[in-house]
Amino acid sequence: MGSVYRLTLRQLSGKWRLIIMTVLACMPVIIATLMLRSSHAPTVREFETAILSAMLSGSIAPLVVLAIAAAAFGNEVDDRTLANLTLSPMPRWHIALPKLLATITIAGPFIAASALLTAHVAFLGDARATIAVTVSALVGVAMYASVFVWLGLVSTQAIGLGLLYIVLWEGFFSGFVSGVRLLSIRHYAIALMHALDDRRFASGDHLSALASIAVAVVVTGGFLMLANRRLRRMDVP
Amino acid sequence: MSDNTNPVIRVQGVSRWFGSVVAVSDVTFDVMPGITGLLGPNGAGKTTLLRMMTGLADASTGTVTMFGQPVRDNPSLYHRIGVMSEHETVYGFMQGREFVRMMGTLRGVKDIEAATDRAIALVDLADAQHRSMDTYSRGMRQRMRLAATLVHDPEILILDEPLNGADPRQRVHFKRLLQTLAEQGRTIVLSSHILEEVEQLADTVLLIVNGKLAASGGFRAIRAALNQRPYHVRVICDAPRKLAAAVVELASVDAVHVDPDGAVVVLSRNVLDLQVELPRLAQAASISLRRVEPLDDSLESVFGYLVEA
Repeated sequence: MGSVYRLTLRQLSGKWRLIIMTVLACMPVIIATLMLRSSHAPTVREFETAILSAMLSGSIAPLVVLAIAAAAFGNEVDDRTLANLTLSPMPRWHIALPKLLATITIAGPFIAASALLTAHVAFLGDARATIAVTVSALVGVAMYASVFVWLGLVSTQAIGLGLLYIVLWEGFFSGFVSGVRLLSIRHYAIALMHALDDRRFASGDHLSALASIAVAVVVTGGFLMLANRRLRRMDVP
Repeated sequence: MSDNTNPVIRVQGVSRWFGSVVAVSDVTFDVMPGITGLLGPNGAGKTTLLRMMTGLADASTGTVTMFGQPVRDNPSLYHRIGVMSEHETVYGFMQGREFVRMMGTLRGVKDIEAATDRAIALVDLADAQHRSMDTYSRGMRQRMRLAATLVHDPEILILDEPLNGADPRQRVHFKRLLQTLAEQGRTIVLSSHILEEVEQLADTVLLIVNGKLAASGGFRAIRAALNQRPYHVRVICDAPRKLAAAVVELASVDAVHVDPDGAVVVLSRNVLDLQVELPRLAQAASISLRRVEPLDDSLESVFGYLVEA
């Protein structure tokens, strides 16, 4: 598995991809700083809704992960090098798991740094709130990564489909239709944040930290299994 | 290596279709140790067939087994199989040696450095092994890909158009290497659309046309069938009707006509005799030959003839 992991890290560490991720990751920090310096500073609830939920968990994190995860398999399908891996005598999850881990390894630090700095600025160095925001963002990265790695394997239009998912599902429907929230990664990431610091964040979703983590494990593991199944059954170009 | 009584590869009733397009249709054959050439024109279904043989693609119907085991969804078999696809894409950011070593590691090779040295030496690329693969010529990339295919010392080699991009010297080296590997008892299947390439290498030929197995067996039998096929030869000269009247008397000629452009079109089953007789006859009749060209010497027409036959 180590060879596939190292190979994927090298494949995904393109200069332009890293620059785009850096720019995206800086945006919540910059906007949080500007909001807090304005004459009408937001309440915790307003800040959470606008920056932590809609922007960080609902837009920046999935966009950064999509840019990496869709390419984890997508590029190899496009340039037909995936056969180098599938023609090897190893179970298919030895390919799918390192691809997922490499995606998280690259996207995770960007989102973690973004979440940590945003929370640190907004909550004036409150350690518990900062940890809650950072951990929930990282859990969100793992779930998004699993979904988008699978998407890169099942469709050559993974970026387009991923963007539609982010804008329509995570951004629009989950904000207005209550039933959709049960199938929204953003919802579970924010529920975890609420559970980790219920002192600062008023929870309205009745999910414990354990339940949120259990959902994250099911989503991440489920899509990893789907990717594994797809690798076994697909025609490798 | 394998014993010589049981087929190493068995393809039984294999078909593959994409929507309404049939790429491979009910193909059955066995492959024994030695070199087997999969011959056919471009688009005949060779690559689709090889992809099903290697487990990269699923057959719509039929089965492919190697050493008696199904190939599809059976990764453990890849310890014993080396596959070189027709696609020449490589990891450009890697050095050649890195690529071969990585492929060896993925295939579970124990003494990876020694195996990498051996594989690179086999393709004669030791001098360039530390260069980035981005800087390689097409032929060098093919050779390094072959080294990566050989690094785990497989018993079966499946090579799709392996001589693409190779210069004449590399072709000679490559052919020698394949013959050596076959003499060691390996089973090698290689595809090509070039008749002469397969003729020089393969003991057995599988001829694929329009997704069907048109012929199989020794190359000589297939070559003999090719030599008996009728050829159309177009002759441009300064006295077409006079030439046509003379040519029709030749024993090697079946039919002659003059087309609207004034060219003489000759149908012959013995084109070698025609090559000798035509200039002699023209000289005797004081006819000036300007151009002599075969009308149906394309590989497609050769394969077409064999299918009809």
